[in-house]
Amino acid sequence: MTYKVTEEGNVSTVFLNGEIDMDVTEKAKEVILPLVESGKEVHLNLKDVSYMDSSGISVLIESHQKALEKNTKVIIKEVSKSVLKVIMMAKLEQILNLG
Amino acid sequence: MNFFNTAVNQVSESKDFPVNTASLKEVRTFSRDVFEKINLPQNQKDELVLAIAEAAQNIVKHGYKGVEQTNDKMEIKISLKDGNLEIGFFDKGKAVVPQNVQHRKLDDIKPGGLGTFFIKEIMDAAVFKKDQKGWVNHLVLTKKI
Repeated sequence: MTYKVTEEGNVSTVFLNGEIDMDVTEKAKEVILPLVESGKEVHLNLKDVSYMDSSGISVLIESHQKALEKNTKVIIKEVSKSVLKVIMMAKLEQILNLG
Repeated sequence: MNFFNTAVNQVSESKDFPVNTASLKEVRTFSRDVFEKINLPQNQKDELVLAIAEAAQNIVKHGYKGVEQTNDKMEIKISLKDGNLEIGFFDKGKAVVPQNVQHRKLDDIKPGGLGTFFIKEIMDAAVFKKDQKGWVNHLVLTKKI
C-alpha cells in the first residue's frame, strides 16, 4: 500500500493505493487517524485500492467512529468496485459516508 | 502447469506459507493463480480469494495471538473435483474451539469480527476437521461451484 495526502482548507484527502490487508492496517491508521484527531474533515480516496479485507474495513469503521467523536467527518470518495463490494457485504454502505 | 490457458475442472494444489502478516499477500497470489485455471466469473474468484485470505488471517491473528515471531508454517490446499471446491487450512497455532468461532453482530458496528462473517457469506460450509495429521488445526471450507 502506498498513499498520498493533500490538504485544502480544512479538508485532508488521503489517496490510498494498492491492497489493504492486515499487514498494512497499522500504516493506514497512522496516516488517517491523526488527521481525524486534529478535527479535520478527511476524504479517503479509494479509487486505486484494488483489494480490501476485513482489516481494511476495520480501519474505515475506526476512522468513521473517531470522526464522530471529534465532531467531524470521514468521507469515502471514488470507492473502487471491489472495495464497494466488501463494504456492502459488511452492510456498511449506510453507515460509512460514501461520497 | 496449464500451458494453453484453458479452464480445467479438476485442481489440487497446495502451498506452505510462513505464519505472519506479510504472507497474506502471497496467500492471495497463490489463490489467484489457482483460480486463474478454473472457469469461474471474476467476481466469484475475487470472493473466494477474500474467503481464503480471511481464513489465513485468522490463523495469523488468532491462532498465534501473543506470539511475536514464529518459524511455523501454515499450509493451504485448494482442490476442485466434480464442481466441489474444497480449501484446506492446516496450522500449528492454538487449538481452535469451533463453538468459539463467532463473528460479531452486523448491527454492532465496531472494528474487527468481520473475517469469519465474510467466510460464512462466501462459502457453503466451514468445518474444523479432526484429521490434523501432525497439525493442530485443520479447517475445511467448501463450496459447490
